[in-house]
Amino acid sequence: MNQNTGVTGVDAAALLRRALASAAAAGMTQRAPYLSARVVVGVDEAMTLVQFHEGRLELRERVPLLCPWDFAIRGGAAAWLAYWAPVPEPGSHDLFALSKRGLMSFEGDLRPFMAHLQFFKDLLALPRGERRA
Amino acid sequence: MSAPGFEPIAGRYVRFEIEGEPCRVYFEEAGQGIPLVCLHTAGADGRQFRHLMLDEAITSHYRVLAFDLPWHGKSYPPEGAFDREYRLTTDLYVASVRAFCAALELQGPVVMGCSIGGRIVLQLAARHGGEFRALIGLEAADFQQPWYDTAWLNRPDVHGGEVCAALVSGLVAPQSPRQFRDETLWQYKQGGPGIFKGDLHFYRVDGDLRGKLTGIDTRRCPLYLLTGEYDFSCTPEDTLRTAASIPGSQVTVMKEVGHFPMSENPAQFRRYILPVLDEIRAGASGQTP
Repeated sequence: MNQNTGVTGVDAAALLRRALASAAAAGMTQRAPYLSARVVVGVDEAMTLVQFHEGRLELRERVPLLCPWDFAIRGGAAAWLAYWAPVPEPGSHDLFALSKRGLMSFEGDLRPFMAHLQFFKDLLALPRGERRA
Repeated sequence: MSAPGFEPIAGRYVRFEIEGEPCRVYFEEAGQGIPLVCLHTAGADGRQFRHLMLDEAITSHYRVLAFDLPWHGKSYPPEGAFDREYRLTTDLYVASVRAFCAALELQGPVVMGCSIGGRIVLQLAARHGGEFRALIGLEAADFQQPWYDTAWLNRPDVHGGEVCAALVSGLVAPQSPRQFRDETLWQYKQGGPGIFKGDLHFYRVDGDLRGKLTGIDTRRCPLYLLTGEYDFSCTPEDTLRTAASIPGSQVTVMKEVGHFPMSENPAQFRRYILPVLDEIRAGASGQTP
C-alpha cells in the first residue's frame, strides 16, 4: 500500500507528478525562462526532484542519494489534497495559508522560489485542475 | 463636460500638510451625501474602491472618497523625500487620515479602511472616535501573526512588484472573479520600491494595538468589523478576538471573499456592506458627530 494514499484514497504524490509532467509537456516553464534550480517537493515521505534549467523542467521520482538541491517544499498528503480541492477550504487555499498553520514547510535557499513565486504557486496548484477533470 | 463613456468617478489633487510636511494627494470621489472616506490596503491605492463609487445604491446616499496615501498610486512622495526610507507609523497614518478629512472640510465622515486601513480605523475609534459618524474596519484586527519575512519585498535580486503580488495572491478567495483578482494584484505589481514593506512597518512593528483599544465608545461612534473567511493574514478569529475587547462593536465574517473584499469580489462584498451603510444612514439623523 502506498503511504501517500492518505485519507481520501488518492495517491497525492502520483497526482503531483502527473501534473508536473503535463506542465512540462505544455511548456508552462516558458513563464520562468531564467529559472535554474533543483527543487524537492515532498508529499509525506515521498520526495520528487524537480529540476529547472533555463526554462526546461525534468522530473525524477526519487531524490538520488547525496543529491544537492536548492530548496524544498514539503507537506503531508492531506494538506496537499486539501490544497488541490476543486474549491479549497479557507486555510487550505494557498501554500502560505498552509505554512501558517504548520502544514507546509519551505527550506533551503528560497531566493529562486521567491523570485518566481507566482509561477511556483501556479505550478504546484496544477493537480487542482486534474481533480476537477 | 460629459460623454457616454464617462464614469461618474472624478479624480483630482489636493494639497495639505501631514505632520508639517507639504503633500500633494490624489483622490477620487463619486456620489453625494454622507462622506465615506475609504482607506486602501498596504502597497496599493484608492482604485480598490472603484466598485463602490459605481454603485448607485451607495452613491445616492454617500459621497465616496478614496485617496492615495503619499508614496502610493498617483500621490508622489512628499517633496524632498525620495531618498528617505518610507515607513508608515501609527501617528503618521492617523495624521494622514485626519489631514485629508480636514483639507476637504468633511463634516462627520464615515471612515472605512481595509487591512492596514482596518487597523488604523481601530486607532481612530480609540483616540478620535468623536470626529466620525461611524467607522468600518475591513480585514481589521488589533494584531495578527506574521506569515513571511518582509525583507523579501524590497531587495535587488527579486522583482518587488512580482513578489508583492504573488505573496498577496493567496489572500484572494478562490471564488473571486478572475478579472477583479488580476486588477487587485496589478496594483501590487505597480507599487513603488519598498512601499508595501514600508506600510507593513506599521502593521508588523509599530501598530500592535493589543491592549490599547480601551475606551472606544461605540454608542457615540458605531464600529463595524467585516472580515473575509479566506483571509489568512487577518483571520476571522483575529477580528473576533479584537471585537470581543470592544463592547458594542459589530462583527461579520464574509463568505467567499478574502483580504480585498471591495476589489476582489465587489458583488459579494456588496451583500455585506450595503446593510451596514443603510444602518449607519438610518442612525445618522439622530447623531451629531
